[in-house]
Amino acid sequence: MLKLFAKLQDALAPRGSTSKDEAKKRLKLLLIHDQVNLTAAQLESMKAEILTIIKRYCEPGEAEEVELRLQKEGGEVALVSNIPVRRVTGGAAPA
Amino acid sequence: MAECIVVTSGKGGVGKTTTSANLAAGLALAGKRVVVVDADIGLRNLDVILGLENRIVYDLVQVIEGECRLKQALIRDKRVDGLFLLPAAQTRDKAAVRPEDMQRLTAELKETHDYVIIDCPAGIEQGFKNSIAGADRALIVTTPEVSAIRDADRIIGLVEAHDLPEPDLIINRYRAGMVERGDMMNREDILEILAIPLIGVVPDHQDIIISANRGQPVVFNEDSIVGQAFRRITARVTGEEVPIPAFDGSNGVWASFKRMLGMAHAQEAV
Repeated sequence: MLKLFAKLQDALAPRGSTSKDEAKKRLKLLLIHDQVNLTAAQLESMKAEILTIIKRYCEPGEAEEVELRLQKEGGEVALVSNIPVRRVTGGAAPA
Repeated sequence: MAECIVVTSGKGGVGKTTTSANLAAGLALAGKRVVVVDADIGLRNLDVILGLENRIVYDLVQVIEGECRLKQALIRDKRVDGLFLLPAAQTRDKAAVRPEDMQRLTAELKETHDYVIIDCPAGIEQGFKNSIAGADRALIVTTPEVSAIRDADRIIGLVEAHDLPEPDLIINRYRAGMVERGDMMNREDILEILAIPLIGVVPDHQDIIISANRGQPVVFNEDSIVGQAFRRITARVTGEEVPIPAFDGSNGVWASFKRMLGMAHAQEAV
């Protein structure tokens, strides 16, 4: 009976992130990186470099808020980014 | 028209040899003439899974090097008509065989058999290249784990690069209970990632270990759910359309009750 109750509870509970969700997420990322041969560390350093350029023109959100990742759609891999902007500073046009 | 099928996975320990043995035995049970070739030179195991280890006289390398005739090296399984094993050499290494040798060998075997099943070693090196050299199609074995699926993805790419048609997928060691709890990737998750046709799901079950202990392929056991799974895979390999069950007792009372309440999650009723 207790087992049945646990099962019911489990079935009715809102599904959070299960270990299989985690596995799938890790796997997808792994396969993309395998395909393009770009490590997570390289992606981080690319993100830092992009941010230094952006900072010349505007004030982006904190590094943790800035998103830069590889995404696979069909057979194509895309670089997807989402950069919140606090304030546009104008900045100097390159010489 | 005879067909040569390679059973491969990239990662070791996912069930290539068990699948090869049961597919070959299943095809023989279905009345086909089958030879199963152990291509894992230096680490032979197929003979043990089939329970034929005491009957080996000659091996694949001796055939290739002309020390014996092909027919002399074939071991006939006495439990079922039409099943033969070509064992690997145990004391040599993969460098003893070249892809051209395998092409010649499989072509010769296809003259006298309906199916030639190649049990491919783990890895993507020489042994893999030898194994796919004479193959007409490939079956990819994986388990619902990140590492196995990653390697399967790699192997699928290599199979397609070798001009073989799109391979079919076997998901091995499937645990419906864990899938139901969200602790194991389900077949949709895996197919979404690997994007090749599914040809079978084999439940994780003690019968596999018991049958390996005895050297009796589980496909001989009609009462075993694993044996039944391999019979269905065999039928699909020959082109029959057989549905893949969910292995979650989704036809049972508890499942009907859950479906009634709309609680059936993460589990497909096939």
